[in-house]
Amino acid sequence: MAVPLQGEVMLPERIADLLGLGGIAGEVVGGLIGALIVGNVMLAMTGVAGPWAKRKITAAFTDRIAVDRIGPFGLLIIVADSVRLLSKELIIPEGADRPSYDLAPIILPASALLGFSVIPMGSGIQLADPEAGLALVFAFASIASVALVTGGYASNNKYSLMGGLRAVAQNIAYEIPLIVTAMSVVVFAGSLQMSTIVAEQTSTLISIAGVSIPAWYAFVNPFAFVLFLVANMAEIGRNPFDIPEAPTEIVAGYQTEYSSVYFVLFYLGEFLHVFLGGAIMATIFLGGPAGPVLPGFVWFVIKIWAFFLFTQWCRSAIPRVRIDQLIEIGWKGMLVLSFANLVLTAIIVGVIA
Amino acid sequence: MSVELPDTTGVVEQSPEEIADLLGDLAIGRDDHLNAPGFVIKPDTVVETLRRLRDDAGFDHLSCVTAQEYEDRYESIYHLTKYADRTQEVSIVVPADKEQPVSQSANEVFRTADWHEREAYDLVGIEYDEHPDHRRILLPETWQGHPLGLDYDQDQPQVVPLREHANPLLEDQEAEGDSETMFLNIGPHHPATHGVLHIKTVLDGEQVVDLEPDIGYLHRCEEQMCQNGTYRYQIMPYPDRWDYISAGLLNEWAYARVAEDMADIEVPEYAQVIRTMGAELCRMAAHFLALGTFALDIYGDFTALFMYSIRDRERVQNILEDLTGQRLMFNYFRLGGVVWDLPEPREEFFEKTRDFLDELPTALEEYHDMMTSNEILQLRTVDTGVLPPEVAKSYGATGPVARGSGIDYDLRRDDPYGYYENLDWDVVTEDGCDNFSRLLVRMREVEQSARIVEQCVDLLEDWPEDERTIQSNVPRTIKPDDDTEIYRAVEGAKGELGIYMRADGTDKPARFKIRSPCFSNLQTLPEMSNGEYVPDAIASLGSLDIVLGEVDR
Repeated sequence: MAVPLQGEVMLPERIADLLGLGGIAGEVVGGLIGALIVGNVMLAMTGVAGPWAKRKITAAFTDRIAVDRIGPFGLLIIVADSVRLLSKELIIPEGADRPSYDLAPIILPASALLGFSVIPMGSGIQLADPEAGLALVFAFASIASVALVTGGYASNNKYSLMGGLRAVAQNIAYEIPLIVTAMSVVVFAGSLQMSTIVAEQTSTLISIAGVSIPAWYAFVNPFAFVLFLVANMAEIGRNPFDIPEAPTEIVAGYQTEYSSVYFVLFYLGEFLHVFLGGAIMATIFLGGPAGPVLPGFVWFVIKIWAFFLFTQWCRSAIPRVRIDQLIEIGWKGMLVLSFANLVLTAIIVGVIA
Repeated sequence: MSVELPDTTGVVEQSPEEIADLLGDLAIGRDDHLNAPGFVIKPDTVVETLRRLRDDAGFDHLSCVTAQEYEDRYESIYHLTKYADRTQEVSIVVPADKEQPVSQSANEVFRTADWHEREAYDLVGIEYDEHPDHRRILLPETWQGHPLGLDYDQDQPQVVPLREHANPLLEDQEAEGDSETMFLNIGPHHPATHGVLHIKTVLDGEQVVDLEPDIGYLHRCEEQMCQNGTYRYQIMPYPDRWDYISAGLLNEWAYARVAEDMADIEVPEYAQVIRTMGAELCRMAAHFLALGTFALDIYGDFTALFMYSIRDRERVQNILEDLTGQRLMFNYFRLGGVVWDLPEPREEFFEKTRDFLDELPTALEEYHDMMTSNEILQLRTVDTGVLPPEVAKSYGATGPVARGSGIDYDLRRDDPYGYYENLDWDVVTEDGCDNFSRLLVRMREVEQSARIVEQCVDLLEDWPEDERTIQSNVPRTIKPDDDTEIYRAVEGAKGELGIYMRADGTDKPARFKIRSPCFSNLQTLPEMSNGEYVPDAIASLGSLDIVLGEVDR
């Protein structure tokens, strides 16, 4: 029998069972090992995405070849780049505000990794499934702005400061539409629990010539999906909303002064947030790990990589908006639309159900 | 078949006598240049003279200010011309006292005089009364002496005390009182400064309150280097290094034109056609890079557009490499022609060029799809960085910057040289005066350049074999008469690239002054950016398409 899409049993408990441990010891050991697995899988994906996939994808969009010297398809560049980045000198600017300067690059990836704890990744991989799962994942994801503003402020650099301020302005402007749009899904699913939201999407929406199309909320409410996609891009600061970094305007924004390991951590954190954004999208709009033939976890990975690909596509092709335009789009456009979406969804659900 | 001539109705043409009448007592003598009547005036009547010429005679373009030192006096020359009719020129010569070289500033009449006079002060040492910002511009404030002055000691050590190197930001730079502004150094190392440019910016939040470009990081006194070279061969390689963004042949033409006019050298028609073709290829390459880097400024660090434009520029460069043997520093022009004929086999060269031209419309379509029709790009560039035509004229803006402000001014047509007047092409103008217009002008100019190249290729293909003269007979040593002065300009990739030369009877120029279009264009940046957001200031800078090699020379 295949592993059920959403096991009632969470990953830590399963590990504890396998190890034959019970009670508190089982919970602790199972939890730690489970978190280790999930965290490492995500970090490994980031490792592939950062030094290799990002280059290859951008190169494909811009008619280039990119890394192809070391290893098959240039894959070993990941090792080479890791060594290179880690062996660089860690330069701490004069007048940097420590320890906030050192904390920021840790907070950023940590907040993203925390978010993955409640994401159902299929094949029984989910660390926890609290009832307020969706609220929790947004709460974790938005810790990122703390890291950005801390890093920007603590660097003692004006470009960093501007980047940090932009990041905060942007996150506030887009978090509300993001969450309000997600609420429309909650109205459909009737629950904040991730497993319930995924389970609700397994039913068949319509059947065309024997092929049944599942009731993924992206199909049920495409409008909300698009809204969420846009707000998500702004939330994770990707083009056309990469305002906090805006390389040609404010050098590299909040991470201008970071080098070596700290720079790597910032980069990891950003990629993790892209993947977390993809994971949230997959979970609440694309049926979570659901999909034909392949195991659930593979589908989950495909979905979050598809989102990553989308961010890279936008990066190659779409101009950046200006900060005031961004704020305007957020407060005057997205906010109104997301509330309209929520009200409409509520009415439809109320009338039908 | 020829280019449509500008509408010069209503532009009155003054004879030198009429200008003399107009100036009346202001003119105290004549000092004619080869292609322009010259009037000597007193150093305290500069503003009055220039204003009279601008308002009553229509000389609204202060193209260049040349300063130089003679054995017995200093001299500032104001090269005036008209945007409406470039062929009318007049030089206003302002002698200044040898011991106390002071002259009135023309800043009140032409804003462009601000920077030009600062440069004159910096390099030659003339001081300008009533100048709003009398400082050095290219050299550091600590520099001793004026390098183009006659008594300048080149071996003098430029010792700068350590205190001058102190970090100016070491102390707390907080503004006094309740100031809400922030001072920000953009550059000299910044991703969007297109070279080594330093912009001192005062910000109020995200908005630019004040902005001041600080130039000179790439200065190496090309003028002096040219003064140390012989006319015949030694000067020609230098122009390649001014606007080094593939615009080499356009720059070389500036020198070729001025030297040929001065020494009265004819250029065979065949060589003119080759020159025209090469120059327009260079313009295309330069505009492609301008598009790509502008896209970088608007889009982000890595965009398809940048790579696409580099790809197309690469194809142009391959053709230029076939033609000249070089990809960057062409050194292809010679006085009286070009150095060698088209590469053999000619058919292959023509085919390669035609292939490129045939595929160009598809490429341009792609640019338009991805760039000009992109709504976010329009949101970002339309009505930002506005430069009204009157302001542009006052600052002496030329090239795509002027044409983007609706000024119908192009030296290829207005002051014809080369083979342009026999070809069928148009001068592109846009009325938007904003960043978007400047972008559009460049994109449309690429099309026009392609038209010109196409016609040149046709002409060259049919050229009878026994009439392919690539160089006229030019004396081995060129020694123009003593005190011959000339100022000539061509349409470079960025605008009016002019050169002033004065001969002293030897085989080297006594004064060689470069009028860089980027220098004048960059001066408009504060006008475009003050009050705008930082990203718009960056976009405006990108839309000016400056090359620091040409700004700093």
